[in-house]
Amino acid sequence: MSAMNEPKTTVDDFLAQREQVLQAWPTGAAVRLDEAIAYQRTIPESKRFASAMSAAKAQRRLLAQPRAGMALVDEHIKLLKYLESEGGADLLPTTIDAYTRQNRYAEAAKGIEKSTTAGVSMLNGFPAVNHGVAACRQVTESVSRPVQVRHGTPDARLLAEITLAGGFTSFEGGGISYNIPYAKNVPLRKSLADWEYVDRLCGLYEERGVSVNREPFGPLTGTLVPPSISHAVAIIEGLLALRQGVRSLTLGYGQGGNMVQDVAALRSLKRLADAYFKEQGFADYELTTVFHQWMGGFPEDEAQAFAVIGWGTVVACLAGADKVIVKTPHEALGIPGKEANARGLKATRQTINMLCDQRTLESAAVDREIAVTEREVRCILGKVFELGQGSLAEGVVAAFAAGVLDVAFAPSVHCHGRILPMRDNEGFIRIFNRGAIPFDADLVAYHRERLEERAKAEGQKISFQMVTNDIYAISKGQLVGRPR
Amino acid sequence: MNEPAVVLGVIGSDCHSVGNKILDAFLGEHGFRVVNLGVMVSQDEFIDAAIETGAPAILVSSLYGHGELDCAGFRERCIERGLDKVILYVGGNLVVGKMPREVIVQKFLAMGFDRVFMPSDDLEEAARLLHADIAQRQWRRCG
Repeated sequence: MSAMNEPKTTVDDFLAQREQVLQAWPTGAAVRLDEAIAYQRTIPESKRFASAMSAAKAQRRLLAQPRAGMALVDEHIKLLKYLESEGGADLLPTTIDAYTRQNRYAEAAKGIEKSTTAGVSMLNGFPAVNHGVAACRQVTESVSRPVQVRHGTPDARLLAEITLAGGFTSFEGGGISYNIPYAKNVPLRKSLADWEYVDRLCGLYEERGVSVNREPFGPLTGTLVPPSISHAVAIIEGLLALRQGVRSLTLGYGQGGNMVQDVAALRSLKRLADAYFKEQGFADYELTTVFHQWMGGFPEDEAQAFAVIGWGTVVACLAGADKVIVKTPHEALGIPGKEANARGLKATRQTINMLCDQRTLESAAVDREIAVTEREVRCILGKVFELGQGSLAEGVVAAFAAGVLDVAFAPSVHCHGRILPMRDNEGFIRIFNRGAIPFDADLVAYHRERLEERAKAEGQKISFQMVTNDIYAISKGQLVGRPR
Repeated sequence: MNEPAVVLGVIGSDCHSVGNKILDAFLGEHGFRVVNLGVMVSQDEFIDAAIETGAPAILVSSLYGHGELDCAGFRERCIERGLDKVILYVGGNLVVGKMPREVIVQKFLAMGFDRVFMPSDDLEEAARLLHADIAQRQWRRCG
């Protein structure tokens, strides 16, 4: 395999950009790197995300983390404290609102104003940039668990500067995973460069003794994503982060629904990532994994939603994940209140406690799926590396342009969207139309064979209607979208 | 008869693209010419598209909770730009938190939307209503 010899961003390049980044909104002026690093050094070990992930891995524990964010500082703190005490969350989030994610700080300001007037949050998350460094410190100091920034921001440079200075110890996202599923028309070259900045910033903290955990967003569109596609993206983003000096890395995968496929996926993700990182010359890093409970449409009925939450937790346990991202019984209705969020956590906790001593599942089928997924990832990444001619970022740009990397149902115009996934007769996510994804012929045939098996069982031809039915199946009470 | 055009899109900073693609395919198969603007569409982009294509209806989706903020003043903006008869539908997860259906529907009807849909509503029924509303609006325009 060819080595990717991308240089680490020089301190000069970084600092030249930095001045401009901090001027994008008035709150940027409060960020001073030396002071921020000194502040981060005062945060106790028990509140550091990287330490918590590392301990979970060593002790084979599964940590539970919700998503949550409100418009106003006080109510956001109240929410986090509730999820900590009542929900028993091991790790806390601060989910950022959608205006901030698009760098629309003026609109976020309006949202804060209207929320203050209305007395309830009118934003779907915490507008950290508008609130600024001091408010972020207020948030992170008010709880006793590690807190992570979770968002969906193609250009997260200012957000990273403010939140890291604000005491957050983990930062989610990446140049692909926070562009392709989260933006309409942001060029990949731009988002990759902006995330290189974020990774470099985390690397600078790391070099000065402050560990910042980084988590590429695994599930992508959360809609029938075949494991090999999300793995390829996760490994690329992992390599790009390590290159800039990141050392604590958590790679993610979103539940597909078939237990064998999901267990195999998480195991293959770990094995493949370690293999690629070592092949590219990285040794000094800590790799952990996160499993996302079902990211697609949820049933509206709360009892049914709890079943989906429980099932995701079972699989996270058996797959050996270090962290699980928790859904809520109000998922079908959008942003949950704090009570619903805590109940999702409690259902998850009960399941974790019942499975904590039986965290394995061995079968020939799991081994088969691991082998298939690994070969698929090697087909994709081999081509990305070849296209990059020594530059992984350029390889990514070329690969999306050629459809070698392709994500189904993504909003971005920079993604072909020709790949069409579908469930087979046992609910495995297979690929009906691979677009330009460079799988070997026998892998293509394997997918096709599996899908024909389902079509035969249902007495119909493979069609787009089956894909639509699969997308809504879980929200309607099933896994496979069988004909009515 | 010519298929009526409808403008479709997800408003504001919302990038939920899956339902948008499904709606596009579904409406296309149910007798509409779909002008799909995709995700992250501003009020003015919806209106521009309706003016350019002469579409009698604009279908607005919002899944991320900012629906109320993003849709505020939409009807007024349509009138201001000369689209005083345009049919406005809105659907999705329209508010932050759990709210009774009637409250949400009232809120958006009061904002000037003609119909309000929840994710669990039947698509066939929505298509039927849309055809009926367009037919009625056009009949009124002739009369």
